[in-house]
Amino acid sequence: MDYIDPHIHMVSRTTDDYETLARMGCVAMSEPAFWAGFDRGSVESFRDYFRQLTQFEPKRAAQFGIQHYTWLCINAKEAENVSLSREVIAMIPEFLAASNVLGIGEIGLNKNTKNESTIFLEHLDLAVKYDQQILIHTPHLEDKYQGTRMILDMLMQNSRVDRSRVLVDHVEEHTIQTVLDNGFWAGMTLYPVTKCTPQRAADMIERFGSERLMANSAGDWGPSKPTAIPDLIMELKRRGHSRALIRKIVYENPRQFFSQSKNFRNDQIPV
Amino acid sequence: MSTDRTPSARTAEQILSEEYLIARSKILDLAATLDRLDRANGSVEALTQMKLLEQGMAILQDNQPDKAKRVQLLLSRPYDPDWRKTYGLH
Repeated sequence: MDYIDPHIHMVSRTTDDYETLARMGCVAMSEPAFWAGFDRGSVESFRDYFRQLTQFEPKRAAQFGIQHYTWLCINAKEAENVSLSREVIAMIPEFLAASNVLGIGEIGLNKNTKNESTIFLEHLDLAVKYDQQILIHTPHLEDKYQGTRMILDMLMQNSRVDRSRVLVDHVEEHTIQTVLDNGFWAGMTLYPVTKCTPQRAADMIERFGSERLMANSAGDWGPSKPTAIPDLIMELKRRGHSRALIRKIVYENPRQFFSQSKNFRNDQIPV
Repeated sequence: MSTDRTPSARTAEQILSEEYLIARSKILDLAATLDRLDRANGSVEALTQMKLLEQGMAILQDNQPDKAKRVQLLLSRPYDPDWRKTYGLH
């Protein structure tokens, strides 16, 4: 089955992984900017990273017929450094015209601090100013519930934010309902350790339906599985769910959400 | 047993039949972890992590729905609606 992975960090993956994903049905993906595993020292490091996301990765993906899109920001972990964050935010507009940029992301919170919140709000202003879609990272483990509520509070206080153009990622059982009830899109991240299994994601689909809900693999440099979406497809098939429901979650919904960005080449995605 | 608003495509009997071995494996892992703690030197009874695990196991045993969500909330830091005031953000 063709599918779209709306959140996968391909800079951490090999070219063989691109080939495997293509063989498993991946036709498009989006890669939010994230933490490299260490704090970067200057705005120039981010400029190079954004060049990698907007120039190198799309070419690597295209070798296997996969459309590669990206989101730009300084991630929540490095947002603790407010002065560096402001330099990066000031530099981001240089890249917004790149042909594979869908918006600002993954912005969010990590340890739910004041500095992270300050930079999150400044990212929101950037997205609104440049009419960009937004992809949100919610914290992990014991910080997730508190952080998600803080993020929603900030999003909903800003009347210029169009909720239908915001994807809140890494939702789990205790955060999914409030995200969907408030009109945002929700992403379930399938991850072996700190996030959600394909089985629990299938449970959430059964509980909350398929509207404004999608799944992703994260596929980053930590313990993660870039082919996690096919695992979810298998789990939903095993439970007897219809092809139409599965396709809506793994293909139609990301396609519909991405189509709100002028850079998404909707007409070039296999139907 | 279930109070889900959206029914699963499978019956409860099917789910138990298909997932029994997985659940069996997970409950054995948990039991073995508790045995390991028992055999080890030192004591964890007073530690927050142990108390959270015990409260989580109690949720698994009760007759209420939404067990996954309630365990998640048990293991979560609370949300303060006045957090902006605390941080001095407007």
